[in-house]
Amino acid sequence: MSRRTFLGISAGVAAAITAGYVIKRSEINLLLEPQESNEGVLTEKWVATSCLNCPTRCAIKVRVVNGKAVRIVGNTKSTYSDGKTCPRSHIGLQVLYDPDRITSPLKRTNQQKGRDEDPGWEPVGWDEALSEIKEELERRASTPEKVLLIQGLTTSSDEDLIRRLAKAYGTANLVSEDALETEADREGKRMADGRNNSGYDLESTKYILAFGANIVESERPLARNLRMWGKIRRERPNRAKIVVIDPRYSLTAAKADEWIPINPGTEGLLAMAIANVIISEGLYDADFVDNWTSRFDNYRNLVLSNDFSPEGVAEITGVSADAIRRIAREFARSKPAIAWGGIGATNWPHGTYASHAIYCLNALVGSIDVPGGVVYQESPPYRDMPAITGNEPGISFHQAADLIWNNNVEMVMGFNSNLVMSVPDTSRWDKALANIPYYVHIAPSLTEMANYADIVLPACAYLEEWAYESSPPGSGFAEAKIKQPVVEPLQDSRPIAQIIFTLAGQLGSTVKNAFEDIGDTPEGFVEHRTEGFVSWDTFEADGVWKGQDYQYRKYNQIFHTSSKKFEFHSANLDKLLNVEFLGDNSEYSLKLITYHPVLDIMNGNQNYPWAQEIFLVMHGFGWANFVEMNSQTAYKLGIKDGAIVRVESEFGQIKARARVFEGILPGVVAIASGQGHYSSGRWANGIGVNPNEIIGVDYDDESGQPSFFNTRVRVYKA
Amino acid sequence: MARWGMVIDLDKCIGCQACTVACKSENNVPHGSPKEQQRMQEIYWNKVIAVSRGEYPTASIEIIPMPCMHCEHPPCVTVCPAKATYKRDDGIVMQNFRRCIGCKYCMVACPYGSRSFNYKEQEGKEYHRPDLPPDLGLDSKTHIGPWPFPHRTHGVVEKCTFCFHRIDEAKKRIEAGEDIKIGIDVVPACVEACPSGARVFGDLDDPESTVSKLLTSRDWFKLREDMGTEPKVFYLPR
Repeated sequence: MSRRTFLGISAGVAAAITAGYVIKRSEINLLLEPQESNEGVLTEKWVATSCLNCPTRCAIKVRVVNGKAVRIVGNTKSTYSDGKTCPRSHIGLQVLYDPDRITSPLKRTNQQKGRDEDPGWEPVGWDEALSEIKEELERRASTPEKVLLIQGLTTSSDEDLIRRLAKAYGTANLVSEDALETEADREGKRMADGRNNSGYDLESTKYILAFGANIVESERPLARNLRMWGKIRRERPNRAKIVVIDPRYSLTAAKADEWIPINPGTEGLLAMAIANVIISEGLYDADFVDNWTSRFDNYRNLVLSNDFSPEGVAEITGVSADAIRRIAREFARSKPAIAWGGIGATNWPHGTYASHAIYCLNALVGSIDVPGGVVYQESPPYRDMPAITGNEPGISFHQAADLIWNNNVEMVMGFNSNLVMSVPDTSRWDKALANIPYYVHIAPSLTEMANYADIVLPACAYLEEWAYESSPPGSGFAEAKIKQPVVEPLQDSRPIAQIIFTLAGQLGSTVKNAFEDIGDTPEGFVEHRTEGFVSWDTFEADGVWKGQDYQYRKYNQIFHTSSKKFEFHSANLDKLLNVEFLGDNSEYSLKLITYHPVLDIMNGNQNYPWAQEIFLVMHGFGWANFVEMNSQTAYKLGIKDGAIVRVESEFGQIKARARVFEGILPGVVAIASGQGHYSSGRWANGIGVNPNEIIGVDYDDESGQPSFFNTRVRVYKA
Repeated sequence: MARWGMVIDLDKCIGCQACTVACKSENNVPHGSPKEQQRMQEIYWNKVIAVSRGEYPTASIEIIPMPCMHCEHPPCVTVCPAKATYKRDDGIVMQNFRRCIGCKYCMVACPYGSRSFNYKEQEGKEYHRPDLPPDLGLDSKTHIGPWPFPHRTHGVVEKCTFCFHRIDEAKKRIEAGEDIKIGIDVVPACVEACPSGARVFGDLDDPESTVSKLLTSRDWFKLREDMGTEPKVFYLPR
C-alpha cells in the first residue's frame, strides 16, 4: 500500500490546520476543581475460565469488579493460541448480561405452535418444570428411541453428560449442530486416515492452499488461526505464502498473497487437477507415498485421466490451466505445505469426496504428521467414567431430519440449540418442528427454537457455569481448560450440567445409576474428570492444563484404517466432475453462497450490539447483511448498490439490500449468515435476512451433512 | 520523557476487529444501534476501515485499523476554543470532558475521523460501570480526563487515549520498584487483544524499543502525511 492511497480516505472531512504549534494545557487542567467520586473498586478479582462463543473454546480471564464482570482478556497461560483470543471472546460480557435472557422456567399455554404463534409463556417453578420433563421422559421409557436430543454449542463436559444421558436413557438419537457444516469435511478425511481429529499445524507451515477455507473468519480453531497468521507472516525469517481459492473475496483472501476465484462447488475438482500436475511431473513425496499409503495406483490412474488434467478442468472450475500448474508446483515444492478444505469446498452433495480429494494433496507432498502439515490432536486424559451399556448415541443430520419430518419422534430436548436458524429450507422445518409433540428448550435465551417449545428451562450463560473444555484439532498437543463461574447465575438460571444431574436423579434406576460416582454436581464432575491433571487449586488458578509436546512422524500408529496406512479412495472421486444445483438454470441463473463473518457469534444468537455494529468489516457496515454481487452481475440485472432486492429460489424468497462490489465471481451472490433473527432479542430481531430460508435441502452422499451452497436463485428489484 | 507511539503491521493484521471490541470494553465506550449507525452517531475510539480498489478479478480491499494518531502537531488541539483537548508531555492527545463545550470543531479539524461525539443520554445506565481501572488510585486532582468511568458525559467529544490509564499505572509501579516495561508488559487494550500481534506499542525515542526497531527494519508510512500532523501511529505495508 502506498501513502497516496490514503489521501482519499477521509476526503469528506475538511481539515482546518492553521498552525502546527501546540500549547500545553496540562497546567491549566490541574487547576480544575476535583470531581466527586463516591464509587470505586470495592472488590476486584480475575477469574480464569474459558470462552464459548465458538467451538474453539479459548482460555480467558475475566475481571470482576464489585460482583460484575467488566472485562475479558486472553489467558496468557494458554499455549494453544499464545494466550490470544478472537474478537468473539470480548462479546462474552454481552452474552452474560444479555437483557433478553430468560428469567425463569416457562410453560406454554397456547397449544398452537409455529413461527408466528405466540406461545403464551407462563412462568413456572423449577420443581414443576423438571418434574413435568421427568414424567414425559418416563412415559416414553419403553420406546426411548422416540426421544431426540439436539446439542447446540455446549461445553465439552456438557457434551459428555448429554451423551451419557442419551445412552443411559436408551436412545441413540443424539444430533450435534456442530456437525451441520463440518461433517462432510471430517468424513472425507476419515476415509483417508480413519481419524476424526486431524488439524493443521499452521505454526511451521510454508505454504497454505485454502480451498473455500475462510481461515481467519470462520474456520476453527479461529483464535489459533489468527495468532498463527501473524506468526507465519512476519515473526520468522521465511514468510509463508497463502493462496485462497474461493468464489468470494473473503477476509482471508484479502489478507492472502493470492486470490483465485473459482466456480462454486468445483474446489474438489481443482484439487484433483493439482494432484494430476503433482503426479505427472513427479513432484510427489515418493518416500511417504510408497511406505505409508495404500491404494495409490488406482488413485493415480484416475487422477492422470484426461478429465482431471488442468486443461480438462479449466472450463468447469473457471481457473486457467496455467494457474493450476503454477500453484500445483508451488504447493509441491514449498515444504511443508497445507491443503485446507474449508466449508466452501465441502458443503456440497459430494462434499465428502471434495474433502477427500483436497486432503489427499497433503499426503502427496508428505505433509502428514510433520511440523507444518496435518497433525492429530491429542485429547486430555480425562478420568474414565464407569462403563454403561447401550448403543453409542450419535446420528447424522440427515437421519435426524428424517426422524423429525416423518413424525418419528415424540419428544425432543434441545441444549443451547437454535437449529431452525441454521438448517436449510427453514419453512419446511417450521412445519416439522411445530408437529413435535413435546419439545424442551434448554438455553440462556428465547431464541427462534423456543417458539416450538412446550417447556423452557433457562440455562446459564457460559460465564456462570462449571465445565472442562478440550481444544479442537490444530495444536497437536492436548490442552484442557476450566470453566468456572465468574459471577453467580443470573435470572434464576441453572447450568445444563445441574439440570442433567437433577433429571437423572429423578429417573429410573438405570439412568440414576449412570450418574452416580462421577462427582454428583457440576463442579464435582469437573473435579472428578480432571483429577489426574494437576491439583484442583492449580487448575482453578491457572485455568489451563497442557499435555506433553507433540511428537511428529508416528506413522506406525496414526492411521486407524484397515490397512494401517493413509488410504487413497478413488472410487467416487469422478463424481466431482458433476456439480449439481437445485433449481433450473434458465429460470434461476445465479448461484447463492453464504459465509460466516468473524462476528457471527456461533452460539445461535446474535443479540450482541458489539458484534452487530461492526458485523461486516469488508463493507464497513454493521446491523445488516447484504446480497453481495459483482458489478457485472448488477449491471446485467439493472441493480444499483444499496437497492432493495428480492432473492428467490424454488424454496422461497427473501428481501434484502444489494451490495455491489468487486470481490465476488460474476454470476454468484453471497449473503452473510448470522442475521435474520425474529425472536432472539432487541439487538437481533429484524436485522438482515437468513439465507437459509431459501436454500434447498440436499445432503452429502456419505456423511448426511446438508449442503448449503448448491441452490440457484434469481435476483430482481423489489 | 517517553514519546508514545504505535506501529500497526498490515501484513499481520487480519481485520478481525478484536481491537475495536477490546477498546469498547476497556474504555466503557457505549455501543450504538442501527439508527445511530445510519446517522453516523456511533462512538468508536478505534475502528477498522476497508478501502477497496480495482475491478474484478484484480480487486483488492485493504483493511486498516485506525486508533487516534496522537499527532505531534494535532490540529484538534490547535482549533479547540475551550482548551479541552491537549497534548500531554508524553505526546498523548487527551480530551477533557469537563472543559469540552461540544462544538465539534476538533472533529472537523481531525483529518483521520478519530473523534466521536457522545449523543447518548446521560441516563443510559446500561453503559454505567461503577469501577476504576485496577489499582490506579485515580483522583481528579491528578487526572482530569475521561476517567473514572461513571463520569462519561453526554454532549462532548471523545477519543482514543492510548489507554493512558494503563501507562500511568505502570509508571507508578515502576517508580515503586517493579520490574515491568511499558510497551512489553503494559500496552493499550487494542495491542493486548490483537491476536495476530499486528499492533506494537512503545517509546519512539527509545532506540531499543520494539517500535523503534520495527521502524528501522521495515518500510513504513503514516496516514495523510501531507497534512503536516506528524502522526505517531505508523503502518508497515505488506
